[in-house]
Amino acid sequence: MAGTTKPVLMVNNQVMEDNKEKDPQAKLELTDSGPMKIKGKFILNDYKREKVEMPEEVTLCMCGKSLRMPYCDDSHEK
Amino acid sequence: MEKKSGQFSGGRTYRNEEITVYWKPTACVHASYCYRELIEVFDPGRRPWVDMKAAPVERIIEVVDMCPTEALSWKWNDEAKNRGVGPEHTNHVKFRRPELMGPGAEDETERPVSVKVLIDGPVLIKGNFSMKYGGNEKNITEGVISLCRCGKSDKMPFCDGRHHKTGFNG
Repeated sequence: MAGTTKPVLMVNNQVMEDNKEKDPQAKLELTDSGPMKIKGKFILNDYKREKVEMPEEVTLCMCGKSLRMPYCDDSHEK
Repeated sequence: MEKKSGQFSGGRTYRNEEITVYWKPTACVHASYCYRELIEVFDPGRRPWVDMKAAPVERIIEVVDMCPTEALSWKWNDEAKNRGVGPEHTNHVKFRRPELMGPGAEDETERPVSVKVLIDGPVLIKGNFSMKYGGNEKNITEGVISLCRCGKSDKMPFCDGRHHKTGFNG
């Protein structure tokens, strides 16, 4: 493969604006086939299990295979 | 006779005697509240897909307010009534038109970020947050994104609506 293209963040076919003026309240960290980590000030509202939480950090399943939804249980590695 | 549907920059409008609903298709993230809650009014399989006479105005307003993006928004046809609309109506056009806002509007960038795990669907993130993906990090203020949770999207990491076809349960 000739070099890797840097992924550009797109939402609804528009490149997302990058705003450095305000400090983000929460930070999302995504990987290609693994879970998403969220840290900071956020409210987690789980509609299926009818739970509302305000944890400091959470790791959400993004592969669809977890048996502990909405959290990651490392099923993506299997 | 007055036209029941029309266009605005970026989308279409649908109206009845009391309110106008704005539909901006490019903003839709497939959260699916509209047709899950009120298929009589919002039926994606019908043309036109919005029937403004199929439910009471209060119910249409309630469902439009559930839309997590600005894909759907609404306003009273009587402009004077729009000024009194409160923040509980999240999708009133007032919140996108500063001239209709009163003084002292809250700074949304200080609020906790909203993370909504939708039933058998994507996770919606709204607010002021940063996002790190593939070595890129961006700060997004007042943004809404919809991320795939089923692992099957063709638009990774974003949701493209595939979870409906694959029968995602989560």
